[in-house]
Amino acid sequence: MNSDGPLADVKILDFMWVMAGPAGTRMLADYGAQIVRVESPSRIDTARTLQPYQKDAFSADASGLFNNCNAGKLGIAIDMSNARAREVVLDLVRWADVVTESFSPKAMRKWGLDYESLRRIKPDAVMLSSCLFGQTGPLRQIAGFGNMAAAIAGFSNLAGWPDRAATGVFGAYTDYIAPRYTAIAILAALEHRRRTGEGQYIDQAQAESALHFLAPAFLEYAVNHREPRRAGNSDRDLAPHGVYPAAGEDRWVAIVCRGESEWRALCGAMGKSELAGDPRFAALEARIANNAALDRIIGEWTAGRAAADTEQLLQARGVPAYQVQNSSEAWRDAQFKHRRHFVEIDHQTLGRTTVEAPRAILSRTPGAVRRAAPSLGRDNQYVLERILGYDAERISELALAGVFG
Amino acid sequence: MPILESSRVLDLSNERGLLCGQILADLGADVIAVEPPGGCSARRLGPFAGGVRDPERSLLWWAYSRNKRSITLDIEHAQGRGLLRRMAAAADFLIESFEPGYMTSHGVGYDELAAINPALVYVSITGFGQSGPKADYADADLILLAAGGPLILGGDDDRPPVRLSVPQAYLHAGADAAVAAMVAHHERVRRGRGQHADIAAFASAAIATQSAILAAPLGATQLRRLAGGLKLGPLNLPVIWPAKDGYISMTFLFGSALGVFTRRLMHYLCARGYCDEATRDKDWIGYADLLMSGREPLSEFERVKEVVRGFTRAHTKAELLDLALQHGFLMTPVSTIGEVVASDQLASREYWRRIQDPVSEREYTVPGPFVKFSASPIQYRRRPPKIGEHNREIYIGEFGLSNEEFSRLARAGVI
Repeated sequence: MNSDGPLADVKILDFMWVMAGPAGTRMLADYGAQIVRVESPSRIDTARTLQPYQKDAFSADASGLFNNCNAGKLGIAIDMSNARAREVVLDLVRWADVVTESFSPKAMRKWGLDYESLRRIKPDAVMLSSCLFGQTGPLRQIAGFGNMAAAIAGFSNLAGWPDRAATGVFGAYTDYIAPRYTAIAILAALEHRRRTGEGQYIDQAQAESALHFLAPAFLEYAVNHREPRRAGNSDRDLAPHGVYPAAGEDRWVAIVCRGESEWRALCGAMGKSELAGDPRFAALEARIANNAALDRIIGEWTAGRAAADTEQLLQARGVPAYQVQNSSEAWRDAQFKHRRHFVEIDHQTLGRTTVEAPRAILSRTPGAVRRAAPSLGRDNQYVLERILGYDAERISELALAGVFG
Repeated sequence: MPILESSRVLDLSNERGLLCGQILADLGADVIAVEPPGGCSARRLGPFAGGVRDPERSLLWWAYSRNKRSITLDIEHAQGRGLLRRMAAAADFLIESFEPGYMTSHGVGYDELAAINPALVYVSITGFGQSGPKADYADADLILLAAGGPLILGGDDDRPPVRLSVPQAYLHAGADAAVAAMVAHHERVRRGRGQHADIAAFASAAIATQSAILAAPLGATQLRRLAGGLKLGPLNLPVIWPAKDGYISMTFLFGSALGVFTRRLMHYLCARGYCDEATRDKDWIGYADLLMSGREPLSEFERVKEVVRGFTRAHTKAELLDLALQHGFLMTPVSTIGEVVASDQLASREYWRRIQDPVSEREYTVPGPFVKFSASPIQYRRRPPKIGEHNREIYIGEFGLSNEEFSRLARAGVI
């Protein structure tokens, strides 16, 4: 299985759920890591209940978010409260290089699967725990999702217009950042084990990982003693820099000039070459100071034009511009197509479905979506028989005992 | 022993890729920022320490160059390229973020360097990728967010879509690039060969759509932006709610997983007199279906949200966070940077690190290790380097240039 992938020798027992954790191990599955994901037969993974649903029809398999975060993994359903579940899980611990989990800090201890217990079973175990705020501290037990970490970590307050309340970042923002650090930490710990023979425990607070994406704001606060503020779409170093109306309902085009030549090119494209000589806009400082007037002039020009036409016209002159894409436009976008970003795969109950491709294109060992995300318990038989080597008798005995729900 | 202690990284990247090298540096790699004479273009971007536009004072550079050393090298100069090729022969990773084709046209593309060093992992970070119809598009943070899909989802519904005021697209790309570097390294250890990784920031930024980018191929309703929340069909779903002294973020949603939390909150509100029992006892699991099918009028949902707002407005952010902890509610305060710095949680975990300012050598506070490793903890060993600060140390001390050669190259403007 997966013998072609660059991570084909990496085996992960994955108890993570919802978004941040599973999106991290998805990145490793793309490159061939063998991942056995454990789900509860009774407590549904929240991600299975989240939009978008295929054809807008909710079912436990229809969430595009769940399917996107879990493509490439094997899925088993085990009732962890069942006394005999433990023997299966411990065999999987022995099989795995890495155990991951994203419950609140108590759960793994309750099941006797905390790091100290794992280490007694497997001395070089690598374990990663990922939760919003980490395993220690007054907020360690807080229940929640990435929108909450984004708020308390400072992201939400920095998105929106200076004359209004913060609009907040879209969705569970820290859940988009943390997965990369999860994947990096796992590979780093395996490298450490290769070099030293030593396993370890990784405590990931998703909010702490995510703060690295605000590092310049923290430096501004620390060094300049200045509280960073939301600024709409304007930029401290660039003008014009905005999102302008386009023809059609709720259609927009983003335009940025990174220097004087791009500004002159934009003026030319708008048929307003005289603007380049207008003292209000002649230099960057002046354009930043007169940003509102500048945005009005550009907006009047873009408003009647199709966003894609404006994008093409300006890009042909070297000016950064792009239509502000919704899902339909991204799906049709020539550059997304070129990168084969939308991957159609077979799915057990949906027939065909679509997920996003691996992000990085590796020249010699490219990533691939090797299988659809599991329906609940899809791979029970495969994992018990082929990975753990259980015989039919033992499997039916466990089933009778209620281990699989 | 730091995890990547024996690895050497040549980091030729600019503002598009600095984070990737910093992640490898945090893991212990010897990361050498290879800057053009005069300094990396990221040093011309703000904010600046003390508001002074000076390449040594760019806080963007400081933010993403910790644990790196710096040399200068003019890649436009034939002798500079010769030096780079010699260094690449002994390097483990090379990171670059020039326009597609730039490195190849200068004879230092992946193929040229792999011929010298087949084990090299060569990471390219660009806006739109190395090839394709829009590979040569001009880029900027806002442009990449527009292309990648997250921009349309954020903002007030009566104004244009809006970005986060701290540029993000290239951080998504830099983090993806670090994952790719680690994957390629893992495989190189087994098979002895490196490869080229192509990272496109617009595609990396698509993760910030939370899979909403899949709506069209899946035949699902597309979400629309809403001030402090989002719109799903006819439903206005707030995420940001008012508190007595600011705002909170609260997950107030429905369905078999999240409806349970909403039910819990409504029971609390009823017990405190914010609503009647009929309101408390609505079907919070199936509530979205009730609204979508019209069995529950949207005006009733508006009334429910007003009830909840009555509760959130009556409490401070700190009180609401305490209630979340006590009762398992899904809410946290919308915090300023200053409030994050003052967080008890981060203090109790000893998260923050102090690091030296390269100009005045005063110490300042920065975000700490991205995870806590028990056996191989991340260390902040070096402050961000000044332009070419390690030229002598590296070119003469480690690379074996003679003093004469070094002086000659310096005079020629190569280093």
